[in-house]
Amino acid sequence: MSSAATKGHNAPCSNRDFDFFYRGLEANRLLVQRCADCGTLRSLPSPGCGACGSLDWNECELAGDGMVHSYVIHHHPPLPGFATPLPIALVDMSEGVRILGAMDETDPATITAGLRVKVEFVRRGDIAAFRFRGA
Amino acid sequence: MTNISNRTAIAGYGATEFSKNSGRSELRLAVEATLGALADAGIDPSEVDGMSTFTMDNNSEQEIHRAIGGKDLTFFTRIPQGGGGALGPLQQAAMAITTGIANVVVVYRAMNERSEYRFGQPMHSLPPTSDNVIFAYHGFSGLMTPAAMIALMMRRYMQDTGATSLDFANYAVLARKYASTNPNAFFYQKPITIEDHQGSRMIADPLRLYDCCQESDGGVALVIVSAERARDLRQKPVYIRAAAQGSPGGTVSLGGFYKDNIWPYDECAAAARQLYAQSGLSPQDLDAAILYDHFGPTVFPGLEAYGFCAKGEAKDFVKDGHLEIGGRLPINMHGGQLGEAYIHGMNGVAEAVRQLRGQAVNQVPDARNMLVTAGSGLPTTAAILGVD
Repeated sequence: MSSAATKGHNAPCSNRDFDFFYRGLEANRLLVQRCADCGTLRSLPSPGCGACGSLDWNECELAGDGMVHSYVIHHHPPLPGFATPLPIALVDMSEGVRILGAMDETDPATITAGLRVKVEFVRRGDIAAFRFRGA
Repeated sequence: MTNISNRTAIAGYGATEFSKNSGRSELRLAVEATLGALADAGIDPSEVDGMSTFTMDNNSEQEIHRAIGGKDLTFFTRIPQGGGGALGPLQQAAMAITTGIANVVVVYRAMNERSEYRFGQPMHSLPPTSDNVIFAYHGFSGLMTPAAMIALMMRRYMQDTGATSLDFANYAVLARKYASTNPNAFFYQKPITIEDHQGSRMIADPLRLYDCCQESDGGVALVIVSAERARDLRQKPVYIRAAAQGSPGGTVSLGGFYKDNIWPYDECAAAARQLYAQSGLSPQDLDAAILYDHFGPTVFPGLEAYGFCAKGEAKDFVKDGHLEIGGRLPINMHGGQLGEAYIHGMNGVAEAVRQLRGQAVNQVPDARNMLVTAGSGLPTTAAILGVD
């Protein structure tokens, strides 16, 4: 059975804590976790809530808009799957969590902290992915 | 709580040459450095009963012990986080010796990092361990190298403090100046200018080539014994006044992007609090420091986190010349990892030993207490060393 059939996605290195995120992208949804007990959102997946310790959580779809908190322009070495120079942004999403996303197809010179961006869903080979674009 | 402060000492150190191609096995480098450290201390290899390193070293504790003619290894331990763990083995040794678990502990690092591997490459798809799924989650968006991960943190530091690439150039020029007079450094007799730094190619903007350490082959080892024993040995004892690990809640290995402050800072501040509490010393009591420079710009938040200047003011502290010998806090007089070699912080510990014994090439006059730090932007470690 293929990885996609069992996990619902083709992302190369995931586990049962992270699979929901990559499955969400297959459906053009940018997902984070919401604690089922205290309601705290968390973007970097984890089996436990850092606020209350609960192991129960639900998927929460983000609207996809935010502001750049920080960014890097990767120049060297070459990256598998991306052209360089590649801008990568850490974005403060409107829901109050941060998401890291590529900004390929955006001129690096136009990126600044505070820039408003929105999510765009793309495919990279056979992998459902996303990137940010200026809003 | 049992205080480990001043109960143990570095009695000897050994090092191989630092190069781009050692021409011999990593284990051989480790054994050479270990035998050098034991000879420096005047301790017979048969006495070694403890071995400690930190991850990304490929030499097993018992193999070094076997090669040196060790008799009975009772304490072997390895600290995670690669260069973030660089001072962890000193803390392990201090705890083990203070509690009587071991008597003679060798701490080591030896790698053919340049000739047999390449660091700083994109991290490939790996088994889905708890750390690897995080690297993969970030790598999914193209963030794949340590330089880019640190650059993301430092860009925000620049945004918040007003520090610029020109400020970072001041540190790179200083490190290369110190290296230029250190015959053991890669960049011996090769100083650079601000213009050289500004003209060096971008690696991960805002980090330029001359902000990055150099992959190196080489080994360093230390021998740690009780303070009492050290006083009877041939070298001036370099006391472990404090040693700590720091990983406040929310810390992620090279990925702490989800905390309020994403600078490489919080973990260093957590280590600093412990060091000053253990030792009873304050930043004002320190004569010099070795600040970990996997990437030179991390020295700036490091100066702030360890209490040498206020948050956000390191750019002025550096500009005002305080890192020079004769300044308020000379740092990395061996040339740092930008200028001497990148032995994951262990060459910096060796430099602290030389400084405190008064044997360094770029000697800080009367250095008696020094801070030594490890990699930042991930769970970190640090120590304060001193002489009477």
